[in-house]
Amino acid sequence: MGRAMDWLDDRTGMRQLARWLLDEDVPGGARLRYVFGSVLAYLFMQQVVLGILLASYYSPSATDAWASTAYIQDRVTAGWFLRGLHHHGSSFMVIFTVLHFGQIVLAGAYKAPREVNYWTGLLMGGIVLAFALTGYLLPWDQKGYWATQVATGIMGSVPGGGPLQRTVQGGTEYGNLTITRFYALHVFVLPLLLSALLAAHLWLFRRHGVTPPASLSEAELEAKQGRFWPDQLFFDVMAMALTAAALVVITVQTHGAELYAPADPAANFPARPEWYFLFLFQLLKYFEGPLQIVATVIIPGAATVFLLALPFIDRNRDRRLRRRWPVLTVVAGLMAGVGALTALAVVEDANNEKYQEALAVAEEEAVRARELAREGVLPEGGPAVWKNDPRYATIELFRENCATCHKLDGRGGEEAPALTGFSSRAWLVGAIREPRSLRYFGGTKGHDDMEPYPPEELPDEQLDATVEYLVSLRNDPAVPWDQLLAAKGKQLWEDELDCNACHEVKKGAGGGSPNFHARGTRDWIARVITDSSGPDLYEDEAEMPKFGDKLSEEQIDALAAYIHEQGLPEK
Amino acid sequence: LKLGVGIVGTGVAAAVVAPAIPYVFFPLGHEITKGTGQFVVVGDRSLFSADPTKVDIYAERVDAWNRVENVKLGSAWVAERDGTLVAYSSVCPHLGCAIDFDVDERKFKCPCHRSAFGLDGSREEGPAPRGLDTLEIKDEDGAVSVLYERFRQGIEAKETV
Repeated sequence: MGRAMDWLDDRTGMRQLARWLLDEDVPGGARLRYVFGSVLAYLFMQQVVLGILLASYYSPSATDAWASTAYIQDRVTAGWFLRGLHHHGSSFMVIFTVLHFGQIVLAGAYKAPREVNYWTGLLMGGIVLAFALTGYLLPWDQKGYWATQVATGIMGSVPGGGPLQRTVQGGTEYGNLTITRFYALHVFVLPLLLSALLAAHLWLFRRHGVTPPASLSEAELEAKQGRFWPDQLFFDVMAMALTAAALVVITVQTHGAELYAPADPAANFPARPEWYFLFLFQLLKYFEGPLQIVATVIIPGAATVFLLALPFIDRNRDRRLRRRWPVLTVVAGLMAGVGALTALAVVEDANNEKYQEALAVAEEEAVRARELAREGVLPEGGPAVWKNDPRYATIELFRENCATCHKLDGRGGEEAPALTGFSSRAWLVGAIREPRSLRYFGGTKGHDDMEPYPPEELPDEQLDATVEYLVSLRNDPAVPWDQLLAAKGKQLWEDELDCNACHEVKKGAGGGSPNFHARGTRDWIARVITDSSGPDLYEDEAEMPKFGDKLSEEQIDALAAYIHEQGLPEK
Repeated sequence: LKLGVGIVGTGVAAAVVAPAIPYVFFPLGHEITKGTGQFVVVGDRSLFSADPTKVDIYAERVDAWNRVENVKLGSAWVAERDGTLVAYSSVCPHLGCAIDFDVDERKFKCPCHRSAFGLDGSREEGPAPRGLDTLEIKDEDGAVSVLYERFRQGIEAKETV
């Protein structure tokens, strides 16, 4: 073993490399406060590994993205866990970026000679945010889609930003090119940039060393001299382990990252960015019209310029805290501003009932969509998942078999009564007022026996009572009726209007015109679909094909349920 | 201290590596694509004679997260032999190229590695380890259907995959 290692070392010089990497003096000794940078490096490497794992199942196209993400989340072993680590890992990176930045500012590490290193750090912070922004869209679910619309919308609303927006999103609207571009940025461009900056950052760090506490004198620093390996690395690894443990706990508790229903360009989804962008989201609310640019560009831009210029604003080489209170106050103020805006956004949403309701609906939809996705999503992708819903099959069935003659919601033929709101009170009112219109039996061959009842013959008030009586005859638990009104209608029906001359109301009784016993219930509709020529139905005048010969009992039942639903009060 | 760094570091890495193993090898224990193993109508009885006819197999296919209706799964050769219909998979049992029928020589030929098969599907020359794979075929009142399956390649035995 030892000889093999000697051989390998002789040919590669790996021991020298390891020594160069690990041997480093830490003036003033190893300290817990130095761990943030190391934890960030660990998180970044972990994100890379997790990203590669996700990429082995994820498919970046507008049609595939959601379905493949749902596949990772709900089907692949441990997929939800790895995706969750990646998702929460990005939050952790943002947190540690802020902590690292705080430590740098407190220690005065932005001062000469470390200015360039400070800038590479700031740039990396920006890239971490760019990672978060581009990654958010990739699942192509409602949340990512709508939140990112806002971000690219901001891009487009800035003067001269139109071409930029169009380039970034690959056209005037979201589609395949949006996702391929965001994917290329997230998976290739940003990781390469971050790696290059990280290399520069580490090189500069090695060149200038840690920034020791300003309170210690040169002699004290020397006396307390520590080593990177293993002293500081022990702290670093312990911090990484704590971070990893927190990440695992959060991932398990939340069952990984959320995945909403597939992006639907017609939905009114309550878009919210990820929590670390909430302060910008909140800021947008305060600036209206032409002032919007204050929130989108001027304030964030000014803050960025201030941070970049920090080494020049605070040029004194003295790193002691009490000598730097103006700068520290401004940075603390900025942080407090960000924190306050974030808190405001959270509180506003928590008290916004409409938002909470919309969120609950969105979550229900997400559960349903992901359940349907288990059967596989049709190649149209995304929202096509809803076609797996049995209800969709019923609608298709209606389109194929019924819509040639029956109109529903504006689509279909006119050779039979329209079924929009079928047998609802409004439908019955219309049927009595103008039975011969195309909406009712006007288009149906041989169904022109009934005379219309205009308001002069039958005032609205009486008509309502008659209709209530019909509803009571239906005796449908889904449609409650007014007993008094129905009793009045019964009288009109029998005496004044003489409806019972043609229409029977006793179960099963025939008489040439449709019987109104239980008419319009789900079972009744199913009977009509199966065979409408029963003596209590349309007898010899039955025009409708007998679907009992063509469709299965389940299909007929599903259609009956669907048509029955059309006339229910909430429709 | 050094040992501690090693142990804790390994633990941190394990948080990702341990779940990554079943994740990466998920296709080993789970069905990723579905579609084979069903009878598919390929045409009317009158279409087929002693001359082999190539038919395409259309059926519903599940491919990981997608479900595709009526999509091409593959093809088969159907011919009449001694009064009954036989069907051969068009997948070469050697390494999976698509078998062709040579009308002049009246042989099935693989376009890749010179394997050739007789009208009865038996191997006549080339590196193929076995004859053409027969598929189950049914004739129901003139509607011919084939049970479409795929088999392991490169071995002598015929095993479905």
